[in-house]
Amino acid sequence: MERLLKKMLPAGAPPLAVDSADYPFAIEYHGPPVPYDIPEVIPIEIGRIPVVPSLPSPGPLKKRSKIGRLAVDPAGASPTSVIENHTAMDRLDSVEVRSSGALGSAAFPDRSAELSDGIIDSSGAVGFKEVEGFDGSSEGIDSSGVLGFSGEVKEGEGFEGSWEGTGSSGVVGFSSEFKKGERLEGSPDDTVHGRVLTESALSSESEFRSSALGDDEALNPEAKRAVVVTFQDSARSSGPASLAIGLSPRGRRVKKEACYQCLKGSRFTEKEACLACDAKYCSGCVLWAMGSMPEGRKCVSCIGSSIMETKMEKLGKPSRMLKRLLSSLEVQQVMRSEMDCEANQLRPDDICVNEKKLTQEEMVLLQSCPCPPSKLKPGYYWYDKFSGFWGKQGHKPHKVISPNLNVGGNIMKNASNGNTGVLINGREITKVELRMLKWAGVQCAGKPHFWVNADGTYQEEGQKNIKGQIWGKPILKLLGPVLSLPIPSNPSNLSGEEVNNMVNRAVPDYLEQKTLRRLLLVGDQGSGTSTIFKQAKFLYGSVPFSEDERQDIKLVIQRNIYNYLGILLEGREWFEEESLTDKRKSKQFHSSGPENNGSDEHDMTEYYISPRLKAFSDWLLKIMASGNLEAVFPAATRVYAPLVEELWNAAAIQATYRRRNELRLLPSVASYFLEQVVDICRVEYEPSDMDILYADGITSSNGLACTDFFFPCLAGDGNGNDVDDHLDTLLIRYQLIRLHTKSLGEKCKWLDMFEDVRLVIFCVALSDYDEYFEDANGVGINKMMESKRLFESIVGHPALDQMDFLLILNKFDLLEQKIDMASLTLCEWFDDFNPVVSHNRPNNNNSRNISNGATMAQQAFHYIAVKFKKLFYSLTGRKLHVTLANGLDLDSVDAALRYAWEILKWEDERLAFGEAVDSTEPSSYSQ
Amino acid sequence: MSVAELKERHIAATATVNALRERLKQRRQALLDTDVAGYARSHGKTAICFGSTDLVCCRTLQGHTGKVYSLDWTLERNRIVSASQDGRLIVWNALTSQKTHAIKLHCAWVMTCAFAPNGQSVACGGLDSACSIFNLNSQVDRDGNIPISRILTGHKGYVSSCQFVPDQETRLITSSGDQTCVLWDVTTGQRISVFGGEFPSGHTTDVLSVSINSSNSNMFVSGSCDATARLWDTRIASRAVRTYHGHEGDVNAVKFFPDGQRFGTGSNDGTCRLFDMRTGHQLQIYSQQHGNNDNDVPIATSIAFSISGRLLFAGYSNGDCYAWDTLVAEVVLNLGSLQNSHEGRISCLGLSADGSALCTGSWDKNLKIWMETVVLKLMVERMAFH
Repeated sequence: MERLLKKMLPAGAPPLAVDSADYPFAIEYHGPPVPYDIPEVIPIEIGRIPVVPSLPSPGPLKKRSKIGRLAVDPAGASPTSVIENHTAMDRLDSVEVRSSGALGSAAFPDRSAELSDGIIDSSGAVGFKEVEGFDGSSEGIDSSGVLGFSGEVKEGEGFEGSWEGTGSSGVVGFSSEFKKGERLEGSPDDTVHGRVLTESALSSESEFRSSALGDDEALNPEAKRAVVVTFQDSARSSGPASLAIGLSPRGRRVKKEACYQCLKGSRFTEKEACLACDAKYCSGCVLWAMGSMPEGRKCVSCIGSSIMETKMEKLGKPSRMLKRLLSSLEVQQVMRSEMDCEANQLRPDDICVNEKKLTQEEMVLLQSCPCPPSKLKPGYYWYDKFSGFWGKQGHKPHKVISPNLNVGGNIMKNASNGNTGVLINGREITKVELRMLKWAGVQCAGKPHFWVNADGTYQEEGQKNIKGQIWGKPILKLLGPVLSLPIPSNPSNLSGEEVNNMVNRAVPDYLEQKTLRRLLLVGDQGSGTSTIFKQAKFLYGSVPFSEDERQDIKLVIQRNIYNYLGILLEGREWFEEESLTDKRKSKQFHSSGPENNGSDEHDMTEYYISPRLKAFSDWLLKIMASGNLEAVFPAATRVYAPLVEELWNAAAIQATYRRRNELRLLPSVASYFLEQVVDICRVEYEPSDMDILYADGITSSNGLACTDFFFPCLAGDGNGNDVDDHLDTLLIRYQLIRLHTKSLGEKCKWLDMFEDVRLVIFCVALSDYDEYFEDANGVGINKMMESKRLFESIVGHPALDQMDFLLILNKFDLLEQKIDMASLTLCEWFDDFNPVVSHNRPNNNNSRNISNGATMAQQAFHYIAVKFKKLFYSLTGRKLHVTLANGLDLDSVDAALRYAWEILKWEDERLAFGEAVDSTEPSSYSQ
Repeated sequence: MSVAELKERHIAATATVNALRERLKQRRQALLDTDVAGYARSHGKTAICFGSTDLVCCRTLQGHTGKVYSLDWTLERNRIVSASQDGRLIVWNALTSQKTHAIKLHCAWVMTCAFAPNGQSVACGGLDSACSIFNLNSQVDRDGNIPISRILTGHKGYVSSCQFVPDQETRLITSSGDQTCVLWDVTTGQRISVFGGEFPSGHTTDVLSVSINSSNSNMFVSGSCDATARLWDTRIASRAVRTYHGHEGDVNAVKFFPDGQRFGTGSNDGTCRLFDMRTGHQLQIYSQQHGNNDNDVPIATSIAFSISGRLLFAGYSNGDCYAWDTLVAEVVLNLGSLQNSHEGRISCLGLSADGSALCTGSWDKNLKIWMETVVLKLMVERMAFH
């Protein structure tokens, strides 16, 4: 054991007896060389410093400290305003302040000896162990690490100031933060005791130090966001910090054009500005101030806030300085995140179209249309939906954008402030436009009212006939720029259809989150999730299956067919053996003599196959037994295709195939594929849509599969009678994620990856109630009970708390087939199923019960649905949505998925309008 | 032999195996007269003293918009790749905290990522049951995405963990939800060997993590949901070299000790353990006392050893990140209680190759880099001196 322990530490590692304070797990790293002296602190003698127990006039002080707090807006507090009263500073001329020390703390004892009444509250600005004892009065500021000083100002002149660490997530800040907050206020009343407040909740650096003072409790919660601090920074910040804390009597003024962080540099030094607060940083500081730039060039404290309007144009345009500092790849990344990040985008509220503020969806629509308004800035606009004219409110048209967008309100008559009396689509046009119209040869006498369409055809109000084409004359192309009037960019673009054709447009990344709704489709093995998934692709995808996917499925089908053949061959062996024993028995029974020479004919049963096929069969069975089937196929397909054909046509296999009902392992879809086995085994086989649908699984790896789609408008309401619906279907992408149960891992370990789905669609095969599978221990388990178990564990998973669930009871057709043969009560969970059996049923051939209008299968479905609903309610106290489907029937899957869509929409409405719409909840059965 | 008879025999054999296993366990218990901590204490060792100030978060890598699930350092110490729920891999420059690459993945549900030893390519895997390799030097396509340079398919379950073999550029080991680990040849995309699966000595459920021995890259260890860790030799795929019992929950993380003679594990049962590679003994258990309620025990999600092995960093589901003294089994520091700590579950952590920095990834979407406060400490000490 001892040797073992000794070996635990590699050679060269510190010896076992390391009980000193430093255990250098980072021994190699000593930080960058420090160019200046490391600050030293002269110990403070507690006795020498008089401590004032309380402030004589705390009231006004508090107030002031608040004023000081307000001055933290870095944009607002220009460097010059930072120090307002130099006289107060000048008074301190006589005070000998040592500010040379990097951290300037040494100054405190000196000053405190001389300042008579001034109270310096330096709350954790810089941690000095020595000062720990001074628990100063820290009125007005909740801060960590309060250090108190008090002393007398000789001349009775007070000075007051407050440094405020904004408590924001200062990068390295210290210095910059100080600069921001630093504000000295001349005290109006000379007799008032001044005080200096320095609160810092700046960088983690200083926090960290304040915690070194044993002062962990009062951390500014915001400061928790504080981030990037390095050792370099601590060294770096010490310089400026001396400025701030050391309170140089000369009043080191911050130059207006200096870097916000190091306070150095002039107007001519190259600087990078924060997009949000316009704080400028020199090349040395920018990386420290802006950190990893997850939203582009912003101080760390500004992350998440929107950018300044004037900076909008700079988005994505890197400065030379940035290019110099970072590698081109890094610059690229920063610029991309700058452009894509949501906080940097134009806010929809800032844009008014036809006197109506835009919503997020309208904004997307406007920006993603084929011909969007260029350089959109916040402001008021008008938009003519019919012709696509676009302009600033009160001005002539600026551009012709895509028409027919459902954006903003209705256009006003005075939208462009025209006074000609001629109206186009209800807008009074301007003089310039009128001139243009005249050039276009339009009769404008008598102040007519025109309707102009997107393609430029116009008609007079109240008349049917089209009078002509505005853009017909080539001269207009020349005139447009002259009169600075817009002309349509590309006439061929301007068809009314295009709005409906937007499914394929690219959605920017930052919008993806908002417009993507995820649906998780999950169910036990064999519940038909893959069929529903494939149906969804057929239903809503423009190209349901790509070439790659088809190839993948082809491999799956070809592999499966060998699997089915293997099961058949295995069955053949059983049957052969069985019939041989039968034969022998009957032989023994019939022939009394032991002599038996006709061994050949005796071995020839119905199930006999030729030796060549026998060899193939043995080989295939061996491979299957070793579980290497997928390793060998489909590579072997080419070689064995002729053999397979021969095998399939052999009488023995056909005979076995006829007895396929006895082969429990053979799935029901097998016959579909076995019937066309010869085709499938060909190399040039291309799976048909039907084959794809029937194939077991989606991909060969059985991993997660997802597909994006838009719910197309139903034919009935596609005419835009419901504007919101229309917009919805265009904008909101749905993503159906189909997950193999196995992928969830033990105890649904990975379900927490799906927290962001909007709806869980759980699939249960109705036909499972009388089917069993064997678990690892060979115990038969009812498949329905297994589904129930899975359902319980998924519903009860903490990650899916409050999630909506839709239960699809699948394979209704199979239920109809077998319900009359096998009672539902075979499953222990359904033992109290007590259907209403009508007495006149024997007279009814199609087993439809006329008296209550429900077949046995429907009753069973309702019964099972209620069972699951009760179970769901007992687990969550909420309502479960249930629908039925038949995976192979396209329409029923469509109905089921539309029901899912309805649930989501209803949920949206409920969120938007509160609980008032509860009554419009979709019916629980959407059959 | 009839089926019933076979079944009977099977049951009998299973019972025998279980009885033997139980005996083995008891025998091990009897032999286990001490553990590392007991021995170290008896020799007067005390826990190393770690102030709350000795480690600071010096960088926060912001940029992911989803939970961070995995991270890995390059060997040349300054770059990190991280994988997040937002469907992106981001390659960071740890010194400047800038992103050098952001790779959009085809399948957003990524669980693991790894740097190749040469630092030129990264691998990732997740619920798509495939391991994708990206070459960082390859030309971006029209949409600015880096194309997949190689995709390793063949797993039948999610890819939970992947690691490049340190001294072989083209070899990669993955672990998967299909109960197997696979050694791949990256250049051809072929499986070289499969560990577990149909072989009886393999894991019986999902494999969650792998760690390759740095001193002998033929050996690797895997941790699984079956509460065991198994040691494998890449030259012998047919059977596990050794199986380590002890944990009472899923083994979420395994990591070789720096000297390659033992390895640590982190588990759903809230404990971390140290196992000896050769004897098969459990050397030490690292667990905190928690309330009686079993559900409240935070699970250990990820572990890492300091370069000397004296410290074991373990991330927990409640956002804690303990630094254990491996010798005396005491928590010497909780990173979760420091300034700027993560606000969510620590999902992954890793030490840079030179051991100077620790990176933690969390469900709060951020990664943080922690360093010892060498410079700072010097200053503090000087101040104390005066």
